[in-house]
Amino acid sequence: MIELVDLTKKFKDAYAVKNLNMFIEKGEIVGLLGPNGAGKSTAISMLSSLLDPTGGDVRYDNKSIIKSPSAFRKVVGMVPQEIALYEDLTAEENLRFFGRIYQLRGKELNRKIDEVLEQIGLTDRRKEVVKKYSGGMKRRLNIGVALLHDPEVIIMDEPTVGIDPQSRNYILETVKRFNEERKMTVLYTSHYMEEVEFLCDRIYIMDKGNLIASGTKEEIKRILSSENTISIKAERFSTDFIESIKNHPSVNRITVGEKEILIIVPRAVNMFSEVIRIAEQFHIELSSVDNKAPTLEDVFLHLTGRALRD
Amino acid sequence: MIGILLARLKLFVRNPWTFLIFTGMSIFFAFIIGSSEMGGSSIYVPIHSENETIRDSIIGKELAKEEAYSFSWMSEKALKDKIESGKAELGIILHENTFEVLVGVDSPNKGLVQQTVQAAYTKKLQQEQLIDNISTRSDKDKIVEEFTNLRHSPVFKMKTSSFQNEDSFVYDNSLHSLFGFTLFFVIYTIAYNVLPILTEKQDGVWDRIILSPVKKWEMYVANLIYSFLTGYLQVVVIFLTFRFLMGVNFYGRFIESLLLLIPYVFSIVSLSILITAVVKKAQQFNAVLPIVSVSMAMIGGAYWPLEIVSSKVLLTLSKINPIKYGMEILNGATVYGYSFHELLFPISVLVLMGVIMMGIGIHLMESRHV
Ligand SMILES: Nc1ncnc2c1ncn2[C@@H]1O[C@H](COP(=O)(O)OP(=O)(O)O)[C@@H](O)[C@H]1O
Ligand SMILES: [Mg+2]
Repeated sequence: MIELVDLTKKFKDAYAVKNLNMFIEKGEIVGLLGPNGAGKSTAISMLSSLLDPTGGDVRYDNKSIIKSPSAFRKVVGMVPQEIALYEDLTAEENLRFFGRIYQLRGKELNRKIDEVLEQIGLTDRRKEVVKKYSGGMKRRLNIGVALLHDPEVIIMDEPTVGIDPQSRNYILETVKRFNEERKMTVLYTSHYMEEVEFLCDRIYIMDKGNLIASGTKEEIKRILSSENTISIKAERFSTDFIESIKNHPSVNRITVGEKEILIIVPRAVNMFSEVIRIAEQFHIELSSVDNKAPTLEDVFLHLTGRALRD
Repeated sequence: MIGILLARLKLFVRNPWTFLIFTGMSIFFAFIIGSSEMGGSSIYVPIHSENETIRDSIIGKELAKEEAYSFSWMSEKALKDKIESGKAELGIILHENTFEVLVGVDSPNKGLVQQTVQAAYTKKLQQEQLIDNISTRSDKDKIVEEFTNLRHSPVFKMKTSSFQNEDSFVYDNSLHSLFGFTLFFVIYTIAYNVLPILTEKQDGVWDRIILSPVKKWEMYVANLIYSFLTGYLQVVVIFLTFRFLMGVNFYGRFIESLLLLIPYVFSIVSLSILITAVVKKAQQFNAVLPIVSVSMAMIGGAYWPLEIVSSKVLLTLSKINPIKYGMEILNGATVYGYSFHELLFPISVLVLMGVIMMGIGIHLMESRHV
C-alpha cells in the first residue's frame, strides 16, 4: 500500500536518510526502530509529504505522494514527536479546533470529539486546559487529535517519549486495539525495542540514516543465530576483569553495565567456563552467568557495535 | 481560516497578558514622559534690554503673549549668569531695532526663539511704518486698532507663518512621546503574535494543519490578520485612552491619526515575519527582538525628535526604519497639519517596506522548512 523507494534526504553535506526502501501493507503494524538521530523523523516527514526528499519516491497505491500528496493526506493521521497542541486550550477545544480544520461541523464534530475522548480515556478531563495535564495525558491527546478524521493509516513518531510506564502501556494497548478493531495501518517509530517487539508485525531498524535490518521479529533475530548473548552478573566488576573479557578472542561485542556485562560470542564456543576462569583469576565473585535469548537490542548491538539507547 | 482565527482569539482571551502589559506600558511611559516635561513646557528664556521702554513697547507685549516661551526680564549680568550656569539654554538682549541671541546650548530652540523675537520686531516695524504715513494724530489710534484687527484676519496670518525658517521645527513633547511609545511597544505585541508561526512549526501544529484540507496561504493569512488586528487594537486603545481620558486633542485629527497607523502596523507585521524567518529558535527570537526594536526606536526618533540627531550614519539608517516614517506620518498629520497628499511619501515607503519584508520573510520560511 505504501512504498518507499530509495528515499534520501541530505541536509547540507550530511545524509539524514540514505536510500531507504520500505513497504507497509494494509492493516499491518510496522515498526521503525533506531537510536536518536537515526533519521526516523526525517523519513516520516518525507513519507507524510511534509518534507521534500533529496531523492527517491514515496508511493501510495502506486501513485507518487511527492507529486500529488492530496489523496494520501486525506487518509493519513500523523502523531508528531513533539506535543503539537495548544496548551492554553482544553482537550475538547483542541479537538474542536483540529476537527474544524478537517471540515467537521456541528453534530458530527461533537460526536467525533466524544468518541475520541473516550478512546484516549480523557472524557473526564475534557474541560481542563492541556498545560495542566501530565506528560502521559498530553501524549494521549496528541494521538487523539490524529484520529479525528478516521484515518486509514496512522504514523506515530515516538509517541511514548518521556512518560510513565502506565501511560505507556495504555498507549500501546490503544494502538493495538485500533489495529485490531478498526483495521488501521500503523507505522510506529520508537527507540524502545520492547515497544516495537510488543506491537509490530514487521520491523525496520535504522542507524545513521541507513537501514541496517528488516523483517519480522523472528527473521531479524535469526541474524544472531550463529551467535549467543551471554549475561554476566556480579556485585562489582574490576577493570582488569572487563579488559580481559573484552580482549578474549571469542568475544565479538561487549556492553558493560554497572552490575551486568553482556557479551556476544560465536555459538560454537563454550564461553561459560572461560568466563568463570577469568573471574577466578581476578577474584570477581559472580552472581550469575546466563545464556540470554537474543533481543532486538542485541541485534542492534551486533550490527552497529553500539547500544540502542545511549 | 476562520477556524484558525477563532482559535487565536480564544487563546487571546485566555491569555491576554502580553497584550495588556504592552498596552499598559505604552500608556504609562507616554503619560509619565510626555507630561513630566509638559509642566515646564514653556521654555525659560532670560531677556534684557538697556532701553527700558522696549519692555513696555509692542515688542515686550508680543513676547509676553508667547506661550511656548516664558521671557523673564533681568539685568545683563544675571542673564549671562543664567546661561553660563546652564539654567537657561539661551538669552536675548534687545536693542532699539535689532536684537542679540546669546546661546549657551545649541538646541533647536535657538531658531524658534530667534524667529519669535524677529516676528515681534517685524510687527513693530510694520506698525511704525503705518503710523508714519498717517499725519493726523487723531487717526493714529484708529489705525492701530484697524491694524490689530487686520492681523487676525487669515490673509495676514498666512504671511506670518512664512517667517518660519527651514532649520527650525515645531516639537510637541507630549504627543511625541505618545506616538513614540505607542509605535515602540506595539512592535512587541505584534512580534509575539507572529512568533507562534515559528513555535507551531517546531512542535508540529503547523504540520498537522498542512496535512488537513486547509491551504497554506490560509494559514499565513489567518496568522497575519490576527497579528495585525491585535497590534492595531493596541494602538487604538492607547490613542482612545489619551483622547478621551486625558483629553489630548491630536490637533483635531484623531480619526486621521488612527487610520494613518495602518501602514505602520502592517510594516511591523512584515518585519516580525522577517525576524521569525531568520531566527532558528524562539530563544533567539527573544534575544533579537529587543535589540531590533530598541535600536529602531532610537534611530527612528521614537524617544527623541530626529531633528536633533546630526550623525550622518544614524540619519541614513533611519531611512530604512519603519518607526521614522510612522513618526513622520503621525507628527505630520497632527502637529504640522499636513494634507494626505503630503503624507503619501512616508505612507508609500511603509507599504513598500511591508511588502518587501513580508515577501522575503515568507519566502525564507518556506524554503528553510523547519
Ligand atoms: N532540518 C534539519 N536540518 C539539518 N539537519 C537535520 C534537520 N533535521 C534533522 N537533521 C539531522 O538529521 C539526522 C536525523 O534526524 P531525525 O530524523 O530527527 O532522527 P530521529 O528522529 O531518528 O531521532 C540528525 O543527525 C539530525 O541532526
Ligand atoms: Mg525523531
